[in-house]
Amino acid sequence: MRIIVVIGRVLDPEGFVVNRRRGRIFVNREEYLIQPADRCALEAALRIKDSRSVDVEVVALPRCPLPDDDVLRLAVATGADRAIYLTGDGVAKADDAVMARILAAAVERLGGADLILTGATTMDTGQAQLAPRVAEALGWPQILDALHVEAADGRVTAILKEGNGYVTVETDLPAVVTVPQDTVKPRYPDGVRLINVYKREGEMATAVEEWDVAGLVDAEALQPLLEKRGQDFPPERERGVRASGTPEEMARAVADALGQRV
Amino acid sequence: MDFTFSPEHVALRRMIREFAENEVAPIAAEIDREGRVPFETLKMMGEIGLLGVCFPQEYGGMGAGETGYCILMEELGRVCTSTATNVGAHIGIGAMSIYLDGTEEQKQKYLNPLARGEKMGAFVLTEADAGSDAAAIRTRAVREGDSWFLDGTKTFNTNGSFAEIVTVLAVTDPTLGARGGITAFIVESDTPGFEVGTHENKMGIRGSSTAELIFDGMRVPHENVLGKVGEGFVSFMKTLDMGRLTLGAACLGGAQAALDWSIEWAKTRKQFGVQLAHKQSVQWMIANMATEVEALRSLVYRVAWMVDTGQPFSQLAAMCKMYGSEVASRAIDMALQIHGGLGYTRDFPIDRAFRDARIAEIFEGTNEIQRIVIASNIFRQHGVRIRP
Amino acid sequence: MTASYLDLLMAQQEEVTEAEGGGGGIWVVADVVGGAVAPVTLEALGAARTLADSLGAYVYGVLLGDGVSDLAQKLYQAGADGVRVADHSSLARFALAPYLKVLSDLFEGEQPEVVIFGATAQGQALAPRLAQRMGGGLIEHVVGATLDEATRTVQGAYPAYGGEYYEIGACPDARPQFLTVEAGAFPVPFLDEYRTGEPTAVEVEPVEPAVRAVGLAEDFEPPPVPLAKARVVVAAGRQVGDFDQVEPLAAALGGQVAGDRGARDAGWIEPGQIVDVRGVMVAPDLYVAAGIRGDTFHNAAIEEAKFIVAIHPDADAPIFQVADLCLEADPRAVLPALLKALE
Repeated sequence: MRIIVVIGRVLDPEGFVVNRRRGRIFVNREEYLIQPADRCALEAALRIKDSRSVDVEVVALPRCPLPDDDVLRLAVATGADRAIYLTGDGVAKADDAVMARILAAAVERLGGADLILTGATTMDTGQAQLAPRVAEALGWPQILDALHVEAADGRVTAILKEGNGYVTVETDLPAVVTVPQDTVKPRYPDGVRLINVYKREGEMATAVEEWDVAGLVDAEALQPLLEKRGQDFPPERERGVRASGTPEEMARAVADALGQRV
Repeated sequence: MDFTFSPEHVALRRMIREFAENEVAPIAAEIDREGRVPFETLKMMGEIGLLGVCFPQEYGGMGAGETGYCILMEELGRVCTSTATNVGAHIGIGAMSIYLDGTEEQKQKYLNPLARGEKMGAFVLTEADAGSDAAAIRTRAVREGDSWFLDGTKTFNTNGSFAEIVTVLAVTDPTLGARGGITAFIVESDTPGFEVGTHENKMGIRGSSTAELIFDGMRVPHENVLGKVGEGFVSFMKTLDMGRLTLGAACLGGAQAALDWSIEWAKTRKQFGVQLAHKQSVQWMIANMATEVEALRSLVYRVAWMVDTGQPFSQLAAMCKMYGSEVASRAIDMALQIHGGLGYTRDFPIDRAFRDARIAEIFEGTNEIQRIVIASNIFRQHGVRIRP
Repeated sequence: MTASYLDLLMAQQEEVTEAEGGGGGIWVVADVVGGAVAPVTLEALGAARTLADSLGAYVYGVLLGDGVSDLAQKLYQAGADGVRVADHSSLARFALAPYLKVLSDLFEGEQPEVVIFGATAQGQALAPRLAQRMGGGLIEHVVGATLDEATRTVQGAYPAYGGEYYEIGACPDARPQFLTVEAGAFPVPFLDEYRTGEPTAVEVEPVEPAVRAVGLAEDFEPPPVPLAKARVVVAAGRQVGDFDQVEPLAAALGGQVAGDRGARDAGWIEPGQIVDVRGVMVAPDLYVAAGIRGDTFHNAAIEEAKFIVAIHPDADAPIFQVADLCLEADPRAVLPALLKALE
């Protein structure tokens, strides 16, 4: 069985400060984390691998353009069998629409897969569109925001939140499933694997392969659709606003303020 | 000169920091309060290979070298000195002695399970009348055929109360003293005659175990002699040197934590209408702490590099321990002053860090001994042999 | 004064007739919840109307479901110029494959300029698949939209890092432009009850959903969230009066109960629930401090909270220096009123 995990990186929010008044972001420390939801997806994949008696191969692919393969090495150190680092001009500016095409082509080049797992949303942009786009590009069913995932007998079963409770759904493999962050406790990388994959030694020497996307999709398919047009900032925090009147009026003011906070 | 860490060490530090913050830090106050060793955490560390961080992979270790070990000790020292102590005794003197002096068979049999964290280790030397005067130990080992029989009492031993594989120094020839008269033995703690005595009720590092060990006619097979008969003390000195460096790394972590807390509090606390950060006296304390931490960091990792590249490091390792322990004590003292009354309450981590830091100037060779070692080394290089 | 307002004054009905000739338009796919059009759909229609007026385009609504034809009028009231209704038993509950088929066939024919969904489970499942299928651009969780009129491109602002700031994106060339909009981000438009229309029925080919419901997951419990990571915290202090009112408020807001040291001394909370530098540091999106005076050590522990509501009878309570919304009142009176207002 082959499970593909799509992993991305995000700038550590502890390293920057947003100044609303000046409308600027000050980066004090530029460090990157693995996307927290993608990390949960990797953990879900590894749990499926642990629980199966049949061989499961977990392959990590990038969710976005990556200047280095650090986050993919981390995925291998944590337990993925291998990773594919996508390089080339075509991937440097890719948006989700383009990545979806690239990933679909990469899956085919790998010889197919049974399950694609990735994070439900990204911490930085809050976009959840990559996984469904990949599912559409492959023509596979999708299950989004799965709180628990199991795969066996050609099917994937997931638990989703519905209203105040939870429901179980299933679909036939191959399928795309997304996992929100904080749903499972991700495991720590294995120390020996970590050292070897970063030193590129032993069995880990070839664990991360490099593929140029030019060999995967045509140039037109690499044209991004989304343009970034800058940033906007919420209004400065106004503390000490008094609500007045009767308790009912005060309660109304609170409810309104909460309703307005999107 | 390239002062950057290699990619594997950067990745290792990130992994250890996350582990330390998620698994070690949340229970640090509890294990101090309850005076218990966090076995569950040690087990988790063993499972991901941290308890063999510096040993080669062929012996079950991680292969991250002395630099990797310093990183581990720094990150643990930053959140919980007790845990750093448990780990340091296991890796740095327990397993390390077997790594430095063991035969191939001994390494495969004993170092492997220690490096994998399947068994815990300890090094047993100190006695009631033999602290700094380590050569004055009286635990006796007498040979009969292909066995040795050990009798004696050891005090102030870290990890000995629960470790399965323990390296013990005993007198094999009372007429010879440190050179030729002391031998190291690898002892399995379930050997009949190995008893755990009183546990010490310590001021700090209460999440680590410090206990008496009593050997009563304990039989150790001759093949468990570590190194050569009579050379135990001399080879132990090598192990001790390594331990000094990594204790310095743990002190670095503790000092960094004190600095980080102080900066946070100086940002938050307002008196006389402004944050403490705007007060010069606080600024100077922070500047002093930060400078000492940077100096210590440079020293520790430079010495780690020297170890990893096979250069002599004994004198510098003693400096790491001596300077590190004093930097940590000064830093936590300043942090306490900056935090004022809040720092003095036991609901805040400064109390624990303050009590924990003090031992570093005492154990692993008191700072007085370190100074003698450093001075002796210096003068020997200039042709003068110091008579202590 | 608009024409429709004048009609209103004259109590005249306005019947919307759809213009001939297809293509383009701002389309809104409706969410139906509890047999009614969801508020987010009305908000989306309001936003669509604003965009359409600047672009000189029409607004169309799409309703999918079983027995939803009557809801079409609501869409007209909110500003739709045309409504398509796919009313079929196979669409009774949202499922991806059947809904995707209807919308895909519809949009292939209609070639919208812009398609807006609510950022709901339904919208978030459909929009990316349609976008990928049609080569369209998509911006999700839009909280504000402006128009680049020259290129007829929507610039959508969406929250970054949970709302620390907003990124602005646009798809200048890709058509259709898909958006999913956050509930509550756009104002609910005026519902003109005099605006009516004749919806067009859409043929529905029943399609089997690929994802099958297996049943309720009764034993499932998600991992517990530690107080330090809770998104909503309702904390009580000595002046809360009646601690029993705190738990229901926390439940209504989906949050956890906490308190200050005074609440611990009164025996209302456990030590692990004390919000203080000597206890737990919290960083919720919403922190409600009921009856907490707020000394330095407590206030330092809520520095990372995004929005603080404080209720305390004493006007000089230090908590009011850090709170965003200050209620100088007795919590005993306010908490029940607040519970009622939140229903």
